[in-house]
Amino acid sequence: QGTDVAFAGLKGDSSAPVEIESDKLEVNQAEGFAIFTGNVRVKQGPMRMAAPQMRVDQVAGGTGIERIHATGGVTLANGAEAAESREATYTVSTGEIVMTTDVLLTQGANTIAGQRLVFDIDSGTGRMEGRVQTVYKPGSGQ
Amino acid sequence: MAARHDNLHSRLVAWLKVILPLAALVVLSTLFLVSRTIDPSDAIPLAGVDVEDRAREPRMTAPTWAGLTDDGAALTVTAAEARPGQGGDSAPSATGLRARLETPDGSAADLVAATGRLDDAARLLHLGGGVVIDTTSGYHITSDAMTASLDQTDVKSDTALAATGPLGQIEAGSMRLTESPDKPGTYLLGFGGNVKLIYDPKQ
Repeated sequence: QGTDVAFAGLKGDSSAPVEIESDKLEVNQAEGFAIFTGNVRVKQGPMRMAAPQMRVDQVAGGTGIERIHATGGVTLANGAEAAESREATYTVSTGEIVMTTDVLLTQGANTIAGQRLVFDIDSGTGRMEGRVQTVYKPGSGQ
Repeated sequence: MAARHDNLHSRLVAWLKVILPLAALVVLSTLFLVSRTIDPSDAIPLAGVDVEDRAREPRMTAPTWAGLTDDGAALTVTAAEARPGQGGDSAPSATGLRARLETPDGSAADLVAATGRLDDAARLLHLGGGVVIDTTSGYHITSDAMTASLDQTDVKSDTALAATGPLGQIEAGSMRLTESPDKPGTYLLGFGGNVKLIYDPKQ
């Protein structure tokens, strides 16, 4: 079963410039992808994404970033709200983030846990699936 | 036969025998007046500067060097001018350097550098004075100095560099173009020393 999630806090802008910083970058020119390793941080508008390793796929046959695969424990933050999971895939062109395995969404004191979260940055809405558990602390705002 | 000299034909021939040689003499003499004066003293036009400079310092102009690395990449290097090493620094140096590295996977990288030094002992080509690399996959990298290995495909730069490419603009502290260790035949362009990439979807 799944739960629709509205996290206005995680709302971002998928057409804003993307900044990726890391210790190392290895570009496979022939197959058109690049692997960032070592404390990789992505910034796009208010959104921050951090992971030990990220693989960036180039737009097929064109220029620009098509998709970012973050692996090895991903944290996605935007102001006071954060989401964590083992892996995440952010498709820049559509603005959709898919976080998988042990997803934990926190907003202030409330948390939602599940196995898979599909989230649209531009609209700020998403859907959590897989053993969803919600911990709601009354009287703690929203 | 000698008596009848007075007919027209004989008189005409007699006169012509005098006039024609005289005319020839006149034409011949004026020939030298109208011809261009040839001044034997001015020698073949040769720039004296180059000759003295070359005598003092031997060099080659527009030398080319070509080689094949162990992994089968063709490296050709051309320069505007190359000088043998003098004094302590025995490595030959060159200016206005252009190098092209064609890797077996079909891609290629063109290097342009202001100066170059061939270190034959270490089988390295040091490029300096501002180096630009253009790869067929669309990467344009500018850096201060770079070292290209002559034996295997290994172009690296340890100075800060800026690059633009299909993924966006990249700033990094170092760069290295080598064959991938675990997948021979594929070539990786590595950046190190806190990399920063900026990509603007709106462009």
